[in-house]
Amino acid sequence: MTDIEYVRAADQGSALALVAEDPDAVFLAGGTTELDLALKDQVVHPSRFVDIGRLPLRGVTRDGDRLRVAALTTMEELAADPTVRERLPFVREALLLGASTQLRNMATIGGNLLQRTRCRYFRDPDVGACNKRDPGSGCAAIEGVARMHAILGAGPSCIALHASDLCVPLVAMDAEVELLDADGTRTVPLTEFYRTPGDRPDVENVLRHGELVTHVQVPLLPDGARSGYLKVRDRTSYEFATTSAGAAVTVEDGTITWAKLGLGGVGTMPWRAWEAESVLVGAPASERTFRAAAEAAIRDPFTVPGTAFKVELAKRTIVRILRTVTS
Amino acid sequence: MTATLAKENVIGRPIDRIDGRRKVAGAAPYPSDFDLPGQVHAALVSSTIAAGRITRIDRSKAEAAPGVLRVLTYDNAPTLTDPPQNALGSTMRRPLRDDRILHYGQHIGIVVANTRAQAVAAARLVEIEYAEEEPVLDIDDPRAAVEDNPFGMASSRGDVPAALAAADVTVDGTYTIGAEANSPMGLFTTVASWQGGRLVVHDTTQAPSFLRVALAVMFEVPEENVRVLIPFLGGGFGAGLRLWSHTVLTTLAARVLDRPVKLVLSRPQMFHSVGHRAASRQRVQLGADRDGRLTAIDHDAIAANGLGDHLPSPIVAVTPSTYACDNVATHERRAHLNIPFTGFMRAPGAIEAHFALESALDELADQTGVDPVELRLRNYAEVHPVSGKPWSSKALRDCLEVGSERFGWPGRDPAPRSTHDGDQLVGQGMASATFEFYALPCTVRLVVDRRGNATVRTAGTDIGTGTYTITAQLTAELLGIDVDQVRVVIGDTDQPPAPQSGGSGLAGALGAAIQDAASELADQLARLDGHPGESFASLLDRHGLDELEVTGYSDLAGAATHADVAPAGAFAAAFAEVGVDEDLGLIRVRRLVSVIDGGRVFNAKTARSQAIGGAVMGIGMAMLEELAYDPNTGRVANGTFGDYLVPVNRDVPDLDITFVGEPDTFNPTGSKGLGEIGIVSIAPAIANAVYHATGRRIRDLPITLDKML
Ligand SMILES: Cc1cc2nc3c(=O)[nH]c(=O)nc-3n(C[C@H](O)[C@H](O)[C@H](O)COP(=O)(O)OP(=O)(O)OC[C@H]3O[C@@H](n4cnc5c(N)ncnc54)[C@H](O)[C@@H]3O)c2cc1C
Repeated sequence: MTDIEYVRAADQGSALALVAEDPDAVFLAGGTTELDLALKDQVVHPSRFVDIGRLPLRGVTRDGDRLRVAALTTMEELAADPTVRERLPFVREALLLGASTQLRNMATIGGNLLQRTRCRYFRDPDVGACNKRDPGSGCAAIEGVARMHAILGAGPSCIALHASDLCVPLVAMDAEVELLDADGTRTVPLTEFYRTPGDRPDVENVLRHGELVTHVQVPLLPDGARSGYLKVRDRTSYEFATTSAGAAVTVEDGTITWAKLGLGGVGTMPWRAWEAESVLVGAPASERTFRAAAEAAIRDPFTVPGTAFKVELAKRTIVRILRTVTS
Repeated sequence: MTATLAKENVIGRPIDRIDGRRKVAGAAPYPSDFDLPGQVHAALVSSTIAAGRITRIDRSKAEAAPGVLRVLTYDNAPTLTDPPQNALGSTMRRPLRDDRILHYGQHIGIVVANTRAQAVAAARLVEIEYAEEEPVLDIDDPRAAVEDNPFGMASSRGDVPAALAAADVTVDGTYTIGAEANSPMGLFTTVASWQGGRLVVHDTTQAPSFLRVALAVMFEVPEENVRVLIPFLGGGFGAGLRLWSHTVLTTLAARVLDRPVKLVLSRPQMFHSVGHRAASRQRVQLGADRDGRLTAIDHDAIAANGLGDHLPSPIVAVTPSTYACDNVATHERRAHLNIPFTGFMRAPGAIEAHFALESALDELADQTGVDPVELRLRNYAEVHPVSGKPWSSKALRDCLEVGSERFGWPGRDPAPRSTHDGDQLVGQGMASATFEFYALPCTVRLVVDRRGNATVRTAGTDIGTGTYTITAQLTAELLGIDVDQVRVVIGDTDQPPAPQSGGSGLAGALGAAIQDAASELADQLARLDGHPGESFASLLDRHGLDELEVTGYSDLAGAATHADVAPAGAFAAAFAEVGVDEDLGLIRVRRLVSVIDGGRVFNAKTARSQAIGGAVMGIGMAMLEELAYDPNTGRVANGTFGDYLVPVNRDVPDLDITFVGEPDTFNPTGSKGLGEIGIVSIAPAIANAVYHATGRRIRDLPITLDKML
């Protein structure tokens, strides 16, 4: 049994220092991901929790056509924000379709971006083969029970899904992440924040050890644009997406003039459907266009028997959300 | 206060649970709430392969870990006696017997330490090496050892092959149901302590009297030296009906250390340690005439069993008594697999059988053009189809008619795909069911004191269904006192023996025993020369007595063998409306009507709760629940509530629940058992509604969205 030290950071500076000085120290925000992994599942072994929960990194501010969300804002708080309600409705929808009210009252936006995969092979320490936990050990999920797994970005080394709902509209909207460490701040587009597994599934994003997510910036929808988030799952609530899609479009005279599309439930990271967007923009808002966009979005999937059904389901999810936001 | 039946209508009233306040206030001690002085904590070592042998065990790291007191594995543990068979079938292979591994997660050791965290951590330090074999995990795997169900499920009346060949219409369907986890909210717990040669064990069991016998045999102590306590149980659903290895191991550790030992299973362990509904495949062949009158039923089933385990849990047992049909044959086999031991799970066997039968009936309705409700009425068994005796009670016709009316069934367009609502196809389906109760002998002790207060004592327990409350109601009515004058002492094997809380039999058995005690009391009062209307106080006073004590006994299963009626189980009909978003494969239950004939209802509120719970669980079975085994290792791959889905509130529409029927004429108190019937017809009603909505017959549960694409 190894003890884990718990420290509540008094201020931002000490939070950064407390994590930076110990390679096994981690930030603790709402704890809804981290405590499960460290204490219940025991698949991560931090030496120290640095609780950032009381740092003044909470709240939402508007800066022109952008929203600046402090990292410790909870999912419920962000969903309740009036600007989000009016100018980013699909962000609100994605938030409220995620987890449960209790969890959303604890879970933070920064933590949501950094939540770990739900892959049950990753989350069970008795499973030996997991490249994400133990690089080079293999992937038991590929030949295993894989339903809540990825088909895009996946490969023979890892098929673990990034299960966030929130990140789907965020990645579609070109959100940016503000990062801070002792060397200063940097801003990274969310579309460049994550990495596909390749041969290093253990490296999930560009965050450096000790770097703190301080804010997330989200451009607001342009005037006249409409958005929607569709989450497909067997259980009506409190379940991760089997597939999901977040779309924002502007239609003028029957032609799509602007389109953003993100996908959930399918990617090893929150998935931006760039190719689909190029099909959509300039095309008529028709079933044929939507289907073409869906085909473009799910090109070259990597499937295993358990996930094969997602290829068609994801396409239908895209078609449905596009139909909904354009009708 | 009188000694005659004065307080009427106490039975049946929807009174609140008498233990409700204690429960919501946290004052009702569940097994995991018990802590004994000097107690230490245990954690299990579980196998990480599904088949093979242990070749090496190294306990040294675990033994050296902080706080560790003892590590027991098969090679250093005292040998136990094999547990006996009991009325519920074979008990499981005893733990730590040898080096064999039969399934993933098999408990192959127990670590005891000063704290739970220390024990859990040390359990991970026990090093085990295995000679691994390839596990057999699927009932269709040709390597699986298959045997006929040893509990004699083959039956035959008439000439089924000839009747099938001659039938105007036939249906031939194969139905599969995935394994379902039984993982009640209350984590299963054992707190065992030896006081000299006497064992006291708090355990999450639904069958305290059986557990007592099993532990007495295994640990070679007289039965009266074993006391099992389970005053409150956090959900059973059948999971607590078997003897499980964690209970034995904890008791063993307590004996070895001579200290109280406590073990609480983790949630993931619950998914492989306390049984599950076995995966099954059934084939149903129906023959009928053009009007839908059944001429033949052939029902074949195969279900999974653990290796070396023989759980009866019969599927086809119910089939011969469902419909009036001259030619009926049943067959049933078991495939022994490297899976965690199966268990009983709410309406075991019957629910599987009804899914297949009632789906097949729906196919027959479709083929013959006879309305599904009418089809069931045409084949109504007016007398028991096997014995030919009149039913002790049967209001299935009322279930069908009342349900049909409440649901608005008449006028339904029988054509599949006939109703749309936005993106949804809407369908309506129904099914009917029966569930026979299983009541073993029961003894109660009843004491009445000078204030007219009564105490009822029996070993049986309340698994959350309301046994405390109905015991008080029955006693109050029979003695003519108020409910709050009755004290109920249950869940303790120092009290008279009682059957398991399972098989929908306890309420009937207990009720009959209480009734027997009450009439014994009446006899005593007569002997004491009580005047009509005289209070207990005055009577006892006159005779200088402090209290009167009587014993009551019932044996319904025994009485059933020579009854001149066919003791009936409960009956039910369910009507479901679903909306199916065909594009996305999404099914939502929009309406559910459930009508139940449970005989006499002791408490309308707790009865309704059972029906609600059954309906919710039925929705889970129909659409969500399936235990998934990793095909390479046999590990339960979805053993958490984040991965194994059960319905949430939003999956459950408003439930319309009605009770019909009359007091049963066989059972002295008129009840028929309500714990299980509420689930039996739900899944087939939903599956039939899905067919009506989409024209697609899904013969494989659960109907998850991928099956609809
Ligand atoms: C049962 C359950 C169901 C769920 N369902 C859904 C769902 O349907 N949809 C969905 O989108 N999500 C769902 N989630 C995930 C949930 O949204 C995340 O767990 C939550 O958002 C994480 O936030 P947190 O504040 O609790 O993070 P923590 O658990 O505190 O932290 C998570 C990780 O992020 C790091 N971290 C946190 N904040 C920062 C920061 N500011 N800077 C740097 N590192 C940081 C931590 O070190 C840790 O590694 C579910 C979770 C659970 C437990």
